[in-house]
This record gives sequence, C-alpha cells and structure tokens, in this order.
Amino acid sequence: MIKVTVCIGSSCHLKGSRQVVEELQYLIKENNLQDSVNLGGAFCMGKCNEKGVNVNVDGVHYSVEPKDVKDFFEKEIKSKIK
Amino acid sequence: MALFIDYGYTSLNHVGEELCGDKVEYAQNGDFITLVLADGLGSGVKANILSTLTSKILCTMVSNNVSIVECIETLISSLPVCKERGVAYSTFTVVHLNHEGQGFIFEFDNPQAIYIHNGICKDFDRQEMIISNKVVYKSDIKLENNDFIVTMSDGAIHAGIGATLNFGWERKDIMDYLNRTVKPDMSARTLACNLASSCNDLYLSKPGDDTTIACIKIRKKLKVNIMVGPPVEKEKDDYYVSKFLSNTDKTCVCGGTSSTIVARYLKKPIEVDLTYLDADVPPMAKIDGVDLVTEGVLTLRRLLELSNMYLDTKDLKPKIFVQKDGANQLADMLFIQASDVEFFVGQSINSAHQGLPIDITMKLKLVESLAYNLKLMGKNVVLNYD
Repeated sequence: MIKVTVCIGSSCHLKGSRQVVEELQYLIKENNLQDSVNLGGAFCMGKCNEKGVNVNVDGVHYSVEPKDVKDFFEKEIKSKIK
Repeated sequence: MALFIDYGYTSLNHVGEELCGDKVEYAQNGDFITLVLADGLGSGVKANILSTLTSKILCTMVSNNVSIVECIETLISSLPVCKERGVAYSTFTVVHLNHEGQGFIFEFDNPQAIYIHNGICKDFDRQEMIISNKVVYKSDIKLENNDFIVTMSDGAIHAGIGATLNFGWERKDIMDYLNRTVKPDMSARTLACNLASSCNDLYLSKPGDDTTIACIKIRKKLKVNIMVGPPVEKEKDDYYVSKFLSNTDKTCVCGGTSSTIVARYLKKPIEVDLTYLDADVPPMAKIDGVDLVTEGVLTLRRLLELSNMYLDTKDLKPKIFVQKDGANQLADMLFIQASDVEFFVGQSINSAHQGLPIDITMKLKLVESLAYNLKLMGKNVVLNYD
C-alpha cells in the first residue's frame, strides 16, 4: 500500500491542489489501484515556496503542478506498484 | 436568566420604486432593545421620509423610556403634512423588550403582530388605548426561549391582491404558513426573509405595496470561540490554545498551522477530508475535541461574502446555510447559532504566504470585516490579538 498525501493548505489550493486531487482520484480509479494507493490530504506542509502543489509519497516529498499530474502518477506512483 | 435577542428584517420595494416606504429602526439601551417598524403613507420618497422620521423618533424616545403618550404627541407635531392628501400619516409597531423577555408592544394601524410560541402562532393580548384621538393597541409581553415576534407592514397581508389572490394574503393564512414552516432553530432574519420572499412570490415579483417583515427571536445564549492563525510568540502556543478551548460552547479553528497547534495540544490526529464541496473553498478536517476545522484565508473570504448576503435586507435568497463546505458550516455556526463570538487572532506571519492574496494583511482585514458584520447581526464580539 502506497500512501500519497496532497497538501490542501491555502497556498497549495491557489496553485491547484483541487485539480491535483481530482486527477489523482480519477487515475487511481481508472487503473484500479484503489487497494494499492491510499490517497489523503494534509494541511500546510510548510513548503509553500515550491512552485507546484506539495505531494508526499511514502515519506518522499514532491512538488507537482496540475499540468504534470499524469506524468507524476505514472512515474512516482504507478511504477512503484508490483 | 439573560437570553439573547436576535432580530432581522427584509423589505420589498413597491414595483418601480428605488426607495422603500417602510422603515425599520433598532436600538439597544441598557438591558432593553427597541424595534420600530413604520410604514409611511404612499410610496417612494414621501413615504420614505414619513417612515424614517416616525421610526427614528419613536425608537429614540421609547428606548430612552419616554412615555408612549408623549412619543405620539411629538410624532403628530413633527410629521410633515402631505400637500395632495392633506394628512400626515405613518403607521407603526414598537417592540420594547429586555433580555429576560419582558416588555411591551405598541401598535398603530399596522397588521397585528404575530406571536410564535412553541412553533404555534398566537395573538398577543391587546388593550385598546386612545391617545390624541388615535386608537393605539398595547400588549404586555413575556417571551420564553425560542419565541418569535413577527411584525409586518400591510404589504404582507395585501400580497397577491389582483394578481394571485382576490383579497390578499390574509393574516390567518400567514399564520397558517408560519405554523407549517417555522423551526425552533431558525434565526429571526431567516424567518423574515422567508416570509417576505413568499409575499414577493404572491406579488409575482412585482410588489403592489412596500412590504416589510421584521422579526425578533429570543433564545438561549451560545458562545463560539474561533481561532484564526498562530500567535507571534511560539512559546505561547499552548497557553493560547488552552485559552481558546476554555469558557465556550463551541470551537472552530481556521487555518493549517492553527489546526496543527491545536491538534498537538490535544494530542489528537488531524484527519483531512478530501471532498471538494465547493471549488473555491478548500476541504475541511477533523480534530477530536474541536467542532469545526477549516482552511484559513480562502474560507474566511467566502464566509465574509456569505455574511454580506445574510445581512442584506433586500436579498430574498433563503438565509440558511445547509451546504457542507467549510464556509457554509462556519456561517451556520456563527450567524445562526452563536450569540457571542470570541476571536483568537494570531498574527504570526507565514513567510511563504507573503505576496500571495492570502497574506497576513488580508487575513487581518477579513477578520475585522467579519467582526463588524457579526456586530451588525447583534452578536457580542470580542477580538483577541496575540
């Protein structure tokens, strides 16, 4: 089980965390990964200076812009599932 | 036991008029509140001047405990006489009430006020008085928790004449409508808006007369503490949170860092819910021991918009907050449920927010405007800055 946490604080909200959350929800469902990925939210991660939305995958931090969600999902989430 | 007095009104203008000929005036003096609803003769400017003078004079005098006889004599000698009609005339309803629910009502030519007790409409026991050849009715009142007084101008009972109803919306039918629609947790403003909106429907959105519903509700107090932002001095976090959590009925936390501090103090996890119920309002979270946990500035901005809508006396959109997003839930708690609101405003600066439309100046400005609007709603507001 992979734990993915998306920041939904004010700053990330303005950078598009809603699009990121909704697209991840869609991609997880589309790939039938509901049982392998646990998608959650968190308030401010204290990294508001990053360019994109703060996303944490099993303890590793990423900055994801809404336009890059699909690539991010393929590279950092899907590839890690057996 | 001292109760909370909630009031509100909604007015419809005569079709084509910019000014309303009905006027509501409200004043608080010591333990007593005074509400006056006046309806000036005619419509438009003249009616507006007559009702403004009437309501202002009566409200000021009654709230300063001048006898009703003197008030009416002053009124008669002050109102300007209409050139065409040769009379000076304005109807009025005066409610004077203390926080124990005791007081009186004076009525002159307005439809008889409706008393709602245990969700059922009743009449007050009125006594006829003749003052300066005018028939004025006096009722001594003793209200209990969740009682309403509904006062109205004749535009309400005339609603629909010639359009949808032959004789207008008779008072007994209004009472029947209220019996079916009043809920004990409704606010005075919500009720006034609902009733005025129904009148507007009967007029097919073209009111043939100025119509005003002014409502008073008396109920138990409820205090809400709301925390917005962490304090400047980090060492004070725990002290600040303990103050925020004590002496209150309900608590709300707005903001990510604030929630983290509260959760740490309570030794409970923050559970974030990822459901987006409104695209402009970030999702909410849950902390065991806190009633509401929301995001900060963006939610507060939406809340301020909602408070302006709630205060608008012409807006007929239902004044209820049933949606489940953060801003609507806060609105329900602060506007409808609360009688007292205490803000705990931390002025710590989140450096990453500076320059964005969510920085500290924006937050402080929002809190200030929100506190101002809550005062307009009649709430007792306290602001603490740390």
